[in-house]
Amino acid sequence: MAKKLYMGNEAFAHAALAAGVRVVAGYPGTPSSELIETVAKENAAGRAEGVHVEWSTNEKAALELLAGASYAGARTLFTCKMVGLNVASDALMSLNYVGVKGGTVLFVADDPGPISSQTEQDTRRFASFAKLPVLDPTTPEEGCEMMDAAFELSEAYRTPVIVRPTTRINHASTFMEFPEVTHAKPVPAEGFERDPKWVIFPRRAFQAHGEINERLRSIAQDFARGPLARFNPIVEVPAGGAFDEAPVYEGASFADELDRRGVARVTAGDERCAAAPGDAEGAVSDIVPGAAPDAAREVDASVPRIGIAAGGVSAAYVREALGMLEELARAAGTELPAYRFMQAGTPYPFPEDAARAFLDGLDTVVVFEELDHVIEDELLMLAGRAHLACQVHGRRDGVTRDRGENTVDDTLRRLASAFATFAGMPQNVAAALPDPAAFDGALPTRPPVLCAGCPHRGSFSAVKRALGGRPAVLCGDIGCYTLGNAQPLDAVDTCLCMGAGITMAQGFAVAEPSKKCVAFVGDSTFFASGMTGVANAVYNQHDVTIVVLDNATTAMTGGQPHPGTGITLMGPQSQPIDIEETLRALGVTCVVRANPFDLDEATAAAQEAIDFEGPSALIYVGPCIQLAKPDVPVRINPDICTGCKKCITSIGCPAIGFDVDARGPKAKRGQAVVDTSLCTGCGLCTFTCPFGAIEKEARDD
Amino acid sequence: MINILLAGVGGQGTVLAAKVLAQAAQNNGWKVRTAETIGMAQRGGSVVSHVRMGNEGEPVHAPLLALQSADVIIAFEPAEAARVLPYLKPHGLVVTAQTAVQPVTAALSKEPYRASDVIAGLQEQVERLVVVDDEALTQQVGSRKALNTILLAKAVQAADLGISLDDLRAAIEVCVKERFVPLNLKAIEVAVA
Repeated sequence: MAKKLYMGNEAFAHAALAAGVRVVAGYPGTPSSELIETVAKENAAGRAEGVHVEWSTNEKAALELLAGASYAGARTLFTCKMVGLNVASDALMSLNYVGVKGGTVLFVADDPGPISSQTEQDTRRFASFAKLPVLDPTTPEEGCEMMDAAFELSEAYRTPVIVRPTTRINHASTFMEFPEVTHAKPVPAEGFERDPKWVIFPRRAFQAHGEINERLRSIAQDFARGPLARFNPIVEVPAGGAFDEAPVYEGASFADELDRRGVARVTAGDERCAAAPGDAEGAVSDIVPGAAPDAAREVDASVPRIGIAAGGVSAAYVREALGMLEELARAAGTELPAYRFMQAGTPYPFPEDAARAFLDGLDTVVVFEELDHVIEDELLMLAGRAHLACQVHGRRDGVTRDRGENTVDDTLRRLASAFATFAGMPQNVAAALPDPAAFDGALPTRPPVLCAGCPHRGSFSAVKRALGGRPAVLCGDIGCYTLGNAQPLDAVDTCLCMGAGITMAQGFAVAEPSKKCVAFVGDSTFFASGMTGVANAVYNQHDVTIVVLDNATTAMTGGQPHPGTGITLMGPQSQPIDIEETLRALGVTCVVRANPFDLDEATAAAQEAIDFEGPSALIYVGPCIQLAKPDVPVRINPDICTGCKKCITSIGCPAIGFDVDARGPKAKRGQAVVDTSLCTGCGLCTFTCPFGAIEKEARDD
Repeated sequence: MINILLAGVGGQGTVLAAKVLAQAAQNNGWKVRTAETIGMAQRGGSVVSHVRMGNEGEPVHAPLLALQSADVIIAFEPAEAARVLPYLKPHGLVVTAQTAVQPVTAALSKEPYRASDVIAGLQEQVERLVVVDDEALTQQVGSRKALNTILLAKAVQAADLGISLDDLRAAIEVCVKERFVPLNLKAIEVAVA
């Protein structure tokens, strides 16, 4: 077995297979999608014996299916992006009360930034809300170890367990090694055993709540001591020392080290409390945010007074930045003061005993984490409960970033400032921080756009042409087609969450009956959460037009199949669910279909559906460019093009650029040009040129 | 530590180029981490791939480069080279394709985007700049798809990374689908000719 380059999500798939997972289900969402795709690939290649893998209709369907499989004793894995957990939350909240039998792991990918998401919600928070354990890897390698540990933990306590990587772990790659062939853990012979506990009733829930509280206390102990404490390492670096050479203590074993050293296990705060019990004024002055440590206290340079806590990829940034800061200090003829570091890899239930040892004797802690202030809050609560005078800084007081991604650069800057302010590092070290120059000139912005040849471009253009100047609200949804918002299409007024467009349009229709209300929804989103909204429109007789953009795939996340394609991850093809028949079965009487690449046909169809009173539907059928073979690129006749830019300003295709220096017989202002490496020859632009300058040839074959 | 940043436009092939570099580093016995832009930006937006190689046996912690740490920037498009300039180490090398990919925003705008303006700016600001005539070279190879390998070969040739053209060839054999291997090997020959 040679090591291979695995992307985080691919590696997590292999780790789950190696752990004996039997049933894997989820719904695509960046940055989580590659896990299921990898399991499917291994299954198709015959290397993952005994696995069932599927893209479910949505996250709720996936988790409920897995609950059933788990009750029977199968090891199960759920995957989604963080907002997908919202969809599955109804199932999850109760599932934790009922408990599981086969190990049940929820792989939920968070997206700081956000880079490809609607929110910056933090699944660590969701774990504490749902009262179940969560593991937060710093590297793909650690995430694989956590995947294995999560299955064991889940079965030991009969609790679902969340493994929560973030984008920079999901989409980071490194060389790793996994078994060539894996075998799913067998479902135990007894299978599902009937028992009153599987039926959630109020009385059972009350009892279960107590069991949950008890197991969380026990799991917090496991996270602080024992094998899982390795996910919560503590490192103490002496003044002038190097992080990479300092010993690593697993969680609360650091408390034993403090005992061995014979360090008096009293903190600065305890001393103060002992010296001046009830001295409220003194206590308050000590906890002014940003206050420098008590100068009157005797300083022993060998004892760290500052601690750095971090979780997730931020812990990797901190290690990197600390190395850089060590070098900067050396270059400035000084050294870094002693410090302590803790990574909180199991943020809930919080490993308090480990954190208590970490805080021992510290004046100041700075917490680096992304999304929410979870570790910061836990340390604040712990310091409060133990009456420590230790100041905990982080996202709450702006000592670290309160939103977006952390970076090595930002971490370095903030660490330098923290060491100077709280630990007496000479100011000249920070003066040497890199200050790179940006490009000195104008650069074009490059926001994402619908691809050249995308069928949605024609769909949006047709609906806008059909509406003419009539007042309208155009509701968008989640998928590539949210990009219909960009100029010049400018055809998406709202985007909220999966499936919301259809139902929001109904709200607009009620509140502003004079406007035409149109909802765009992708084919995959239609099945995931659009059908309920359609039923609502028919039931309550809302005058809306539902436009289904059927490109035969889940495009934005990389092209996953869905119920409308009939393609399954297990191999056998199922009967595709027909969108038109579904709409008619739900009671929509006006359903029109059209080809979005034929702008005239598409516009006429839109006209018919929009003019219909009551709920109507329009289905634009055109394949995603990832599925279709490109045609011969169009040609712009330089003898005819006048440079009017009508093609560009009406559809904004990335394959049509503008050459300001070109001059044709009628062009005084430049000419449109086709980028033949991008053009798929879809021909939509031929409908836009008032002079007929754009020519489309048919493919020879 | 060797840090390489690949910058381009979604769909240009930075991801495969990063894989090839990572494989070359692995073949040398180095620790390596890469990170990609995956998601919405892949639809014609600006994308970057980070490649970090512990060429002295050191561990690699973060998957992303820090500012001013790139030994080499390999850009598939001039404006994308300019955009990531703050990542370049002092005296670092920039290899960029010279053909612009015009964003829709530029076609719509009254301010044209000319590759030549950006390249002139790069020449002012970058000490070690290699501008690649990508149009001529991809034509010689016979496919625009060869752009990433051409740029890699140019970078390996111009930078002293401890990665040779033979290392690149070996890595391509591992990373690229078999039927495209000859095309990519030809791309190396054309690039260094």
